[in-house]
Amino acid sequence: MRKVLEVILLLLLLVFTHAKGTRYSPPGKPALTRCRSPEKETFTCWWEPGSDGGLPTTYALYYRKESSDTVNECPDYRTAGENSCFFNKNDTSIWVNYNITVVATNALGRTFSDPVDIDVVYIVKPNPPEQVAVTVMEDKGWPFIRVSWEPPHKADTRSGWITLMYEIRVKLEEENDWETHLAGQQKMFNIFSLRSGGTYLVQVRCKPDHGFWSEWSSSSYVKVPDYFHREKSVWILITVFCAFIFLIVTWLLHMNSRSLKHFILPPVPGPKIKGFDKQLLKNGKSEEVFSALVVSDFPPKSSNYEDLLVEYLEVYIPEEQELMLEKSMDLDVSCLKSEGSTSDSDSGRGSCDSHTLLMHKCDGVKEGRERQAEEARRHQKDWKEEASTYSNVDSSPDMSSGRVKTWPSVFSPLPRYSSNQQGSLETAKQHYLSDSLFRPSSTSSCHTQPGHGATEALGPSYWECGLSNKQPHLLHPQGQAQRQLQAHSDDNISSIGRKPTPAGLPSPALRSTEYVEVQRVNEEDMVLLQPVSGRCGDVEGYPQVPHGEDYSKVKGVDGDNMLLLQREVREETGNCDTPSTVATTQKPTTCIHSAMPVQGEAVLGVNGYVDTATVFTLPTY
Amino acid sequence: MHLMRAIKQGQWAVLLWPYLLITSIPLDCRDEQGGLSRCPSISQEKLLDRVIQHAELIYRVSEESCSLFEEMFIPFPLQLQRNQAGYPCITKALPIPSSKSEIQQISDKWLLHSVLMLVQSWIEPLVYLQTTMNRYDGVPDMLLNKTKWVSEKLMSLEQGVVVLIKKMLDEGMMTTTYNEQGLFQDDGQPEMLEYVMRDYTLLSCFKKDAHKMEILLKLLKCRQNDIHSCA
Repeated sequence: MRKVLEVILLLLLLVFTHAKGTRYSPPGKPALTRCRSPEKETFTCWWEPGSDGGLPTTYALYYRKESSDTVNECPDYRTAGENSCFFNKNDTSIWVNYNITVVATNALGRTFSDPVDIDVVYIVKPNPPEQVAVTVMEDKGWPFIRVSWEPPHKADTRSGWITLMYEIRVKLEEENDWETHLAGQQKMFNIFSLRSGGTYLVQVRCKPDHGFWSEWSSSSYVKVPDYFHREKSVWILITVFCAFIFLIVTWLLHMNSRSLKHFILPPVPGPKIKGFDKQLLKNGKSEEVFSALVVSDFPPKSSNYEDLLVEYLEVYIPEEQELMLEKSMDLDVSCLKSEGSTSDSDSGRGSCDSHTLLMHKCDGVKEGRERQAEEARRHQKDWKEEASTYSNVDSSPDMSSGRVKTWPSVFSPLPRYSSNQQGSLETAKQHYLSDSLFRPSSTSSCHTQPGHGATEALGPSYWECGLSNKQPHLLHPQGQAQRQLQAHSDDNISSIGRKPTPAGLPSPALRSTEYVEVQRVNEEDMVLLQPVSGRCGDVEGYPQVPHGEDYSKVKGVDGDNMLLLQREVREETGNCDTPSTVATTQKPTTCIHSAMPVQGEAVLGVNGYVDTATVFTLPTY
Repeated sequence: MHLMRAIKQGQWAVLLWPYLLITSIPLDCRDEQGGLSRCPSISQEKLLDRVIQHAELIYRVSEESCSLFEEMFIPFPLQLQRNQAGYPCITKALPIPSSKSEIQQISDKWLLHSVLMLVQSWIEPLVYLQTTMNRYDGVPDMLLNKTKWVSEKLMSLEQGVVVLIKKMLDEGMMTTTYNEQGLFQDDGQPEMLEYVMRDYTLLSCFKKDAHKMEILLKLLKCRQNDIHSCA
């Protein structure tokens, strides 16, 4: 009967299993999740069961210590809860490896988990610190929080069995960010910089020197009292102080508003012209304004007008006298001055200076006279306009109003101005050309008025205006004359450079700085020249003309209406040249020593001197 | 004249003051006997504290070295199997108790002796470890420096423990002399992994033993203060 019952039961079971469709299987593989020791004296291991295979499954934990070969089973399955194994003090050895395995068993079989090696020393996770106390304390009026705690009661820190380190975190109640502080091994910590009136949360946790952090302790709440009034008083002080400073600054600015305005927005400088009165201009009376600019004694309208006329005009501009001649011109004077001016001091002397330019005087007295007139009349006009009056010459505009140009000594010896008008014209032309050639360069950079070649020397010291290239190119039209000249420029410059004299003229053995005196103008309108005796090539840069040199004393008048002149004896140097005049008459000339007969008019000077520059006949020796 | 002489003598005194200090301080003075001792030797407590500090530092640095080594040279699957490579810890045979209860039962004397044994047994292997470390490719300087530091500190720890033993137990001990023949011989050219595992085991074992030393010394200190409160 029993046997039958058992068989029937088995059959029923089988039927049931088949009917339901479930299959029983051995248990799934369990896994040890973790092992932890709270105080390094005991430890617990937990595992995760696998599938139970449909059948009731039991789990067993087996361990083997490192030093022994015996396999032991877990002594306590209950204390630590479900699926756990608890090792008490007696079963726990530190510094010893445990080899732990969990086995799941059911009716159909058993499954071993993967073995795990642990050393209790390295799996310590203590409990959170206990008795966390938070108090608000004051430090000279500023509050701070003092947090104190105790280690978990199980951890034996007193004997040194475990050494714990602590960590605190704080946050305001309404915020989300924690502020973390590491506290080391101490059991107390201060927190400063609190917000007044705020509520703070404090938590503490601990960790052994080797192991895992504990959980955070439960939050402790603390409220910081208000100390707002202290902050407020400071702010009030600061505000008052700032307002005071602001007032002072404003007052200072107000006092110095004008100078500040000048500093920030400097006024535009107005024109400063001597004698120019802005008020007059504003009033609208231009005549008055300009009349102030006019120098009263220019142009000279005296009876000595004739005195000013010279038959040959040798105009040069030493630096001091430049302003006198061109006072009305707005010129870039610096460009025009020459540092090494080779002009002599002999203005108005009867000599065609080879190195001081301007052929015209040699050409003819009429040009000189013309020029004087121009100068007298139109000292304010543009140079260019004046230049156009010189139609007889291919005038470069710089030929105007007696602008003096001293030819550079490179060109020395310059040809002697002959009585040959053609020759001198040509010379003049060549000089013009050279001058014009140079001038545009100067104007290109200096923007001088065309016609102010002024005292131009070739040296780099002269071109203050930065003549970068010496190629003659005319940058701006200066009249048709210029353009005509341009074509000849290259040739002329080279010719000038190479030939000391123009082609047509025989070159006398003259030094560059030699003066030539006009002895007379003969019937054919030729100027008879005579070198200045005694000068012998010396250049004297005296601004003033020594009167004694050019004039001869009248000794008397003889019967033939001849003036007996007595020349002043002058010191004569040993190297007194005996140049020959290049004159059509081809008369030799010598140094004058004695009186000479006078023909024609004789202009008597004031003190008995006759200006030998006017009418003289050549001594026929 | 007197002043000059005094100055001269003073000069000599100033120049030779280190010698004065040395002559007046015997190196191993005994402060136990006699009333006032002229010897400014360190007190036992302070000495014990310093020894404990040494042990703590040694443990910390060895832990860092071990983890560094593990990261760099040990493949991940092998990291969990610490002592399964067949290289047991060299100090396995030392009779050191392994549970707290057992440790609390041994006497001070045995505590100290255990510590000394541990220290002395590790001096040579650490020196050896220094040389083998250089064999690895790309070993960081930090690891080498740490190993070197630990080795040196261990030697000074040994000296400290010897002095401590002398003070507490009045026993004279001999410090180890470094000899070329170590426990480890460079046998042939085994596989690199063998080397690595062996050295890794060495480091791990040393780390554990450093911890042992620390714990033992701390227990000893607790006992010195109050034997009853050390549970």
